[in-house]
Amino acid sequence: MSLSVLLIKILEYMFVAGWVGSAVVLVLTGVEDVGTLLDKDENSH
Amino acid sequence: MSSTSNSPTGSNRVRIVVATSVMLTFISYWRAAAVILNDLGSSAFYAGGIAEQAIGKSAPWFVLGVMLFAFAVRAVYVESCSMFVRGGVYRVVKEALGGTLAKLSVSALMFDYILTGPVSGVSAGQYIAGLINDTISIADARGWVPAALHRMFHGTPQVGVNATAVVFAVAVTLYFWWENIKGIEESSEKALWVMQVTTVMVVMLLGWSLFTLLKVGGHLPPFPTLANIHYSNEALGFWKHSKLPHMFGILGLIIGFGHSVLAMSGEESLAQVYRELAHPKLKNLKRTAIVIGVYSFVFTGLVSLLAVMLIPDDVRVKVYSDNLIAGLAMYMVGPQVVRLIFRAFVVVVGFLILSGAVNTAIVGSNGVLNRVSEDGVLADWFRRPHKRYGTTYRIINLIVGLQLFTIIVSWGNIYTLGEAYAFGVVWSFVFKTISMLVLRYRYKGVRNWKVPPNLHLFGVEIPIGLASVGMVLLSTAIVNLFTKSVATVSGLIFSIVFFAIFTFSERVNRRKHADSAAHMKEQFQLQQAESVERETVGIRANNVLVPIRDYNTLNHLKWVLDRTDTREQDVVVMSARISQFGTAAYGLTTEQVFSEYEQTLFTRAVSVAESFGKKISLLVVPARDPWSAIAQTAHNLESSAVVAGPSSKMTTAEQAFNLGSAWEAIPEPKRQFLLQITHPEGIVDTFRIGPHTPTMKNEDVVLLHSLWLKVTREPGLENIHHHDILTEALTRFEKDYGASAREEIVKELRLHADVGPMPIRRIADQVPTVQTPTVQPEPTRFDGPSSPKE
Repeated sequence: MSLSVLLIKILEYMFVAGWVGSAVVLVLTGVEDVGTLLDKDENSH
Repeated sequence: MSSTSNSPTGSNRVRIVVATSVMLTFISYWRAAAVILNDLGSSAFYAGGIAEQAIGKSAPWFVLGVMLFAFAVRAVYVESCSMFVRGGVYRVVKEALGGTLAKLSVSALMFDYILTGPVSGVSAGQYIAGLINDTISIADARGWVPAALHRMFHGTPQVGVNATAVVFAVAVTLYFWWENIKGIEESSEKALWVMQVTTVMVVMLLGWSLFTLLKVGGHLPPFPTLANIHYSNEALGFWKHSKLPHMFGILGLIIGFGHSVLAMSGEESLAQVYRELAHPKLKNLKRTAIVIGVYSFVFTGLVSLLAVMLIPDDVRVKVYSDNLIAGLAMYMVGPQVVRLIFRAFVVVVGFLILSGAVNTAIVGSNGVLNRVSEDGVLADWFRRPHKRYGTTYRIINLIVGLQLFTIIVSWGNIYTLGEAYAFGVVWSFVFKTISMLVLRYRYKGVRNWKVPPNLHLFGVEIPIGLASVGMVLLSTAIVNLFTKSVATVSGLIFSIVFFAIFTFSERVNRRKHADSAAHMKEQFQLQQAESVERETVGIRANNVLVPIRDYNTLNHLKWVLDRTDTREQDVVVMSARISQFGTAAYGLTTEQVFSEYEQTLFTRAVSVAESFGKKISLLVVPARDPWSAIAQTAHNLESSAVVAGPSSKMTTAEQAFNLGSAWEAIPEPKRQFLLQITHPEGIVDTFRIGPHTPTMKNEDVVLLHSLWLKVTREPGLENIHHHDILTEALTRFEKDYGASAREEIVKELRLHADVGPMPIRRIADQVPTVQTPTVQPEPTRFDGPSSPKE
């Protein structure tokens, strides 16, 4: 049981740390996305 | 020059130019987004219901979380595409982790692809059955159902929802099986149209839902805390009797997230449409990613949220869990009949998008297995073409067989199907992201974009963003192994079986290919070329291009060789290696483009040429569609004529129309050429591709001449020519057509079109293309010998 608990704890840390990092990815790429959308050099057809 | 005779190297081997760049017709990011959303957007119809059945009323928060996280997953795909033009799972995993894990990842991807069909077909069937039952219930409440029917059904007549869903899913799957056997052409136009209709529905749905919320009020679903997550009996899988899921708060979140992860299925399509994206590719890929991200967040995410807010608890899971959007339509404010009409619209849209996903599943699986087969990990037996249609029917039969088996075994249980589906979705993402992490250190080639943020410590890059996405995916995939017992067992069995088939096939193929490679080396000399140019192939301008596909139908090649003096005019025999959406994700080597099949095909072509004692040049061209390949090759090689055989799927006029459409897509300057389609009975249909002097009917020539006679009698106009009359007539026509007389002209032209010999124009009107191709038939059919020379 203790090994299971340890493994689950590791999974939980991975998930939380992953989500924090992914949130940073979302913010950084979101800012970049706004720039990409405002860039008018291409047609959209 | 490549020929059946000696090559310049003095060898007796036949030289074949193998182009390794796929000839594509590029699409805008809007069209690319539409293609992806046809798959990704379809999950909105079932993801929310499946998640709520598993984890309770807080499910919409998890679906929204998945849709937000999907933005980060998209970033991984953008990075992979910035490294490899064909950055799909197989290519990336093979590059990073080797062939064994690549085969495993493709097995997981195949599980995803194959289940896309049943889950979409069954979901569409559930929506249709739900509509039928609710319509009958409403009719019954108004006393419109005859008493005899009541007695027969012991109450309100109802159709069995799951049985109806199974029948519908089987019917749709069989329909698309036959379409794929015949070889339907995919069209981004169709995908765009489906997404336009879907967008109308989404806007109406959101607008009406918000209005309803303002009118009657509503409560947000409970927030996703351990206390608010209520697992169903099936939601814990192997942990059903364990205390573990109830001991850890965050584990509950992972379980909930894992049950909602199928909402982002379809992301892989991003890598597969990348090759087709127009310039600037990377920027357009990012734009595509933004469009699909925002769209799926709003559609899948918000619709799941609104459903919980508007549909009462007592009916939402019990009645509408399998057709949540239909339930949402029924709980808006407004007259019942209007709500029922809107629900019917939802069902029609669901039918369109979900049926499209059934086809995508067959096309995608076929594409992946074809490419894997080209890589030598699936026996060539699977790729043998259909005798009549030339499609890889054995692969299609295998895929559809597995899909039908899945539909029947699941017996329309969308929950079980969805749970199993998530296995393939999440594990293919895991393989992909881990491989991208490995490639950060192993890949030294060009990489135009990286998932941010990245730290640099002591000269070593730490990919924080990429690792973060990987950690979320891996932890979710591992927990899913325990909580989704059906998915784990079926997914593992499926993946192991496919992995075993791939491994066994690879060993058999390695031995077989060693023999055939030796044979090929004796017979053919492959010359790799990035693109098709006249100089590369070593031929003169005004040559004759002969596309071939099936080695059983080479009559048109015989026809050309019978009538062409190859000392005066070169004959180029080409085979287009087709790469469809969902198949362009893998790198093409010479061996992949020139496979055993092409070897057999060219061996037959060479023996035909030898029987005539004439030279031919051989060319293999990878392409997105055969028409583009033929048009672009004819253009690049400055061919004066293309001679093809008749198609089993379309008329010669339609063949000409398709080639004309492809010709229109070639940028200027471009030259015209002749298309001749030879029938086995000796008849030849001839078409001109590109603008050209029209063939005039005799009565028109007489009319022109009589007008000329009249005009030349006028003082000062004695020197007028016939062409001056035509110029004046056309100038006046242009002026009138742009003014009030347009309708009258169109009306008259329609009369001509109905009686005149212009089949192409009628066909052109039926085919949804933006530009009208400039193809017109010659007025006569040549029943005797005819030179392919212009």
